[in-house]
Order: sequence, then structure tokens, then C-alpha cells
Amino acid sequence: MAVKRLLLPLLLLLLVVAAIVSMGTGAVFISPREIAEALLGTGTKNHAFIIGQYRLPRVALGMLAGAGLAVSGVILQGMIRNPLASPDVIGITKGAGLAAAIVIFLCPKSPPVLLPLAAFCGAAAVAFVLYLYTRRRSVQPSTLALVGIALGVVCQAGIQYLMVKNPGDVNAALLWMAGSLWGRGWEHMWAVLPWLSVFLPLTLLASRRLDVLSLGDDIAEGLGERVDRLRVLLLIASVALAGACVAAVGSIGFVGMLSPHIARKLVGGQHAILTPVAACIGALLIVIADSIGRGLLPPMEVPVGIVTAIIGAPYFLYLLARERKKRFS
Amino acid sequence: MGRTTKAAILSVCGIVLLILGLVGSIAVGWTDMGAVDAVTALIDSSASQQHLIVSTLRLPRALLAAIIGAGLAVAGAIMQAMTGNPLASPQTFGVNAGASLAVVAAIVLLPELPVPYYALMAFAGAVLGGLAVFAMGSAGGMTPVKLALAGTAVHLFLSSLTEAFILFHQHSTDQVLFWLAGSLDGADWSDIRRVLPWAAAGLLLSFLMARSISIMKMGEDVARNLGQHVARVRAMCGLLVIVLAGSGVAVAGPIGFVGLMVPHLVRYAVGSQTRLYLPLTALAGALLLVLADILSRFIAYPYESPVGIVTALLGAPFFLYLVSKERRAA
Repeated sequence: MAVKRLLLPLLLLLLVVAAIVSMGTGAVFISPREIAEALLGTGTKNHAFIIGQYRLPRVALGMLAGAGLAVSGVILQGMIRNPLASPDVIGITKGAGLAAAIVIFLCPKSPPVLLPLAAFCGAAAVAFVLYLYTRRRSVQPSTLALVGIALGVVCQAGIQYLMVKNPGDVNAALLWMAGSLWGRGWEHMWAVLPWLSVFLPLTLLASRRLDVLSLGDDIAEGLGERVDRLRVLLLIASVALAGACVAAVGSIGFVGMLSPHIARKLVGGQHAILTPVAACIGALLIVIADSIGRGLLPPMEVPVGIVTAIIGAPYFLYLLARERKKRFS
Repeated sequence: MGRTTKAAILSVCGIVLLILGLVGSIAVGWTDMGAVDAVTALIDSSASQQHLIVSTLRLPRALLAAIIGAGLAVAGAIMQAMTGNPLASPQTFGVNAGASLAVVAAIVLLPELPVPYYALMAFAGAVLGGLAVFAMGSAGGMTPVKLALAGTAVHLFLSSLTEAFILFHQHSTDQVLFWLAGSLDGADWSDIRRVLPWAAAGLLLSFLMARSISIMKMGEDVARNLGQHVARVRAMCGLLVIVLAGSGVAVAGPIGFVGLMVPHLVRYAVGSQTRLYLPLTALAGALLLVLADILSRFIAYPYESPVGIVTALLGAPFFLYLVSKERRAA
């Protein structure tokens, strides 16, 4: 237990280190001391500009997005009781992607504010259809997952249709689909922050209920939980988190799936501790992936989403091996 | 009326419908011609423009749709029989995604590789995707939900790697994107030559194995007691699925949901206990893809749309229908 309590500060420390490294790497290398000076306002003008206008907002946004996606994954995995559930699998990210593709292809001259707004609406639309479909009967978690998957397929077909019809702008769309922190600034950060500052604490408050819910519907009901209503509320929280993050940074995959996993390995399944740890891990994942993406082939940037997929690969395989072992032992 | 009679009547109807579909497919499109004109243009070898269009563009495309549709449908039927899972299909099992990743990797990393070898790459990728989903989805008993989640997760993972390849290899992107959506546009006779040997061998073998496959459906223990070499049949079926689905993906890209829908539709019509089940599935798959291909020409007329979009739009509601039916049965 002592180790578990130390883990959170340790992760936060790691996050600070990763943020400093991330602010240092790129086309212009900046040493940690210079970063500190720039942040305190005593550094050179040049560095202060690069850090203040480009790298700091980028790191901050990366952290927020990672935390949001991870917590969204925590909620969905707890609710659906399957370790593979996540906003990307349930179709929420795909809905955001379809809306973004519509904006990119059909109104390419629109102001930049429109894209995140549309993406958020897309995610919300998928969530709404999910809700409508499941409203009439009691909301079986498995139904939620399967309906989400089917919606994801439909959205994917729409995205492909738009891409094939407008071959000229495909790269912009592909970049957005892959998820990237390129060119993101303070305004994106401020757009995400309110959502997270509302729904992260709410999720933490609901952590006991998530614990109860992950025991199974019958037990949860026996313990006096209004399961259906709780599930709808949790779905809203999870979609709001994922939608806001995806709107700001594009559909970065696997953070929502892997972070809760890793967190569960580290601290177990109690949501009160699982949620913050998963949030830290999600933030770490994106910040590290972004630094790798920038440092790998400068001045070219590898989109974060691709780096997270590649980092995710070994973990995915590890999960696979473990599941197999469970099966045969 | 016995099942066999019904199945026989349905197969005759299916063949007639398929022929009509093929004629429709060669008649309909940017250069519209009547059905009669299309057929005469096909037979008439004087080098008219219509003859050229029909014989070099439309006919190979229609035949390719039929071949690939048959292959995918039978692959889906075999998978559903093997796993006892109604949601099993090349698409949901990650086979399509694995095969397309392998083909895109081959296009980007080995540009010198001759096109016929793409099929082999696709087989390798199909094995990878299928095994991954099987391993993840079958831990502690494979329920439809687990399979669907594992399949989607693996699918997302493989397709984000595919996207990475595309982003880093920007020329030829358009073509690859079109192919990735599952498309029969621009098919020619060389495509048919590439897919036909695999598909024909795969279909023939699966028809020959139909008995073993339907026995496997009763469960492993029953099959063993009835004298089946369960492991051998399993391995053979895996191989068949990979050849049937992989060769299709290598040529036309990952066309989804044909393998999911068709076996169910045929089962509703005649049940799965007749000897004609697999041939009927092949026939219905061919018909479905030929019709979907005709539809795909009109979505964004006069431009072509990938046929995979049509099958996805048909398949997603069907998937939901299956899910809700499963739940009611449970």
C-alpha cells in the first residue's frame, strides 16, 4: 500500500521530467536550465518566445489530452467490464473523425475554430445515437459496446467516402485522423481545460460507484445503485472527456485503451486510485510520444498518434501473450 | 418440401439471378447501354467501342466481384462454423485488416515486389490479424461481445499502422486509399488471373470438406466422437479462410461484411444442414458483391465509389440486427 501511495507523486515527477525533455527537443534544442530561465522570465527573448508560444502550450495540451482520453477509457472499461473498451473502439472517436472530415473536405475555407467544434459535435452525435438505441431497454453494457462498434463502422465508411471523393485534401485529413499536436497553441489548451476541470473531478467523485458497477449489474443494484441512470451519466462524462480531447488534438489512438490497463497493473482496480494514476500515465504517454515524434526525424514530425500506435504495439502483444497464457494454464 | 429440394430450387434461382446481375453489371455505368446491347457487344468481336468497354473493363470487373464475393462469403461461413460465433467473419476477425497492412507494407517497403506476390503478403498478414483476434477474444470463452471488441481493437491497431505507412509514403496515396476502402474499380483480366487460382482451389476444397465443417459445428467433443481429426480439420479450415479472404484482399482491398451477412442469410433460407449450404453461400456472396458493385457506381455518380463503402453501409445494420437477435436468444 505504501508503494501505491508513493506511485502518484512519482508519476507526477516523471511527468515534469518528460515535459522538460519535451520542451527541450525539436528543431532548436533548449537545455533544461534555459527552459527554467525562459519560464521564469529571465531567459533570452528567443527562447522565451519558443517556449511560451509553442512548446509550453503544446506540452500542456498533450498532458490534458492524455489525461482526458485515459480517464474516458477508465470509465468505459469499468462500465462495459471489458479491458478492450475505449473511446476509439466504441466509435466515439470515429464520430468525431467523420465530423472533422466533413469540415476538412466540404468547407476547407472555414475558420480553424470550426474543426474542433465539429469534432466534438460528431462525438456527441455518436453518443446520442448510442443513448437512443439503448434507452428503450435496460442498458446492457455489451449492447453499448456492439452498437458503438457498428456506429464506428458506418462513420468509417463515411470518412473513406469523403477521402476518396476529395483526393486533393487527403493529407490534411489523414494527419488529423492520426492525431497530432502540430500547430496547437494556447487557444486549444483553453478550449480543453474547462471540460477536464469539470469532468475529471466528477469522475473521481464517482469512483466508488464505478467500483460497485464493475462488480456486475446485479450486485450493483443490490447495493442500491440505480444502474441505468448511473451508466448514462458515466457515458456522458466519458464522451465529454474524449470528445473535447479528440476535438483539440485529433484522434490519437490507444491512449484511452492502454493507460487504464497499465494503471490497473500498477495499482489494481480501485477507481479512486486507478483514475488519477491512469490520467498521469495517459499524459505521460502523449508527452513522451510527442517528444519522440519531434525528435526522431527533425525537422519532419511524426504525428503523435502514430507514435502512440507504435509504442502501443509491444504492449498489445504483451497483453496477447498474457491472455494466451491464462487460457492454456 | 424437403430442405434439399428447396436448396436445389434456390441454387437454380441464384444462378439465374447471378447471370442477370452480371449482365446488369456490364450494362450499367458511365457509358450506359441496354442489357441486350451489352450482351451483343460482348459476343460481337468487331472492334466497336462498346465491345472494347465491355470486354476489357466491365466483364473482368463483374467476374472479379463474383469471385471475391464467393470467396469472402465462404470464408465467413467457415469461420462461423469453426468458432460457433455468429459474429465471426474475415472483417470482424481482423483478417482483412491484417492482410491490408501487409499489402500496404509491401507496396511501401518493397516497391520492386512483383504484383502477384501481394497475395502471399496478404496471406501472411491475414494469419497475423486472425491469430491476434483469436488469442485476445477467446480467453475464458469467446462470446460475441468479446470477439467484436477484440476484433475492433486489433482492426484499429493494424489500420493505424497502415495509416502510418501511407502518411510516410505520399505518392500513390490516392490509389492506395481507394484500394483500402475496398474497391473493384479498374479491375482487369490480370486481376482475375491473380485471384482465380487461389479462389477456385479454396472454394473447391471447402465444398469437399463441407461434411467435416458441418460436423465441427456441433462442437469439438461431438466431432471427435464422430471420428473427426479435429486438429487437422481446424488447421485446414484456417488455411482455407486465409487463402479465400487473403487473395480477395490482395486484389480488391478489404471488402467488409460480405462474409458476415451472407452465411446468415443462406442459413435463414435453407438451414445449414444441407450439402448445398456452402455452394449456396458462395453463390449468394457472388450475387451480393456484384449487386453492391453496381450500387457503388451510383453513390457519387459519375464518379466511382469503393464497393467496400456499400457493403459497410449494408453490413452495419445487419450486425446490429444479429446482436439484438443474439440477446433475445440469450
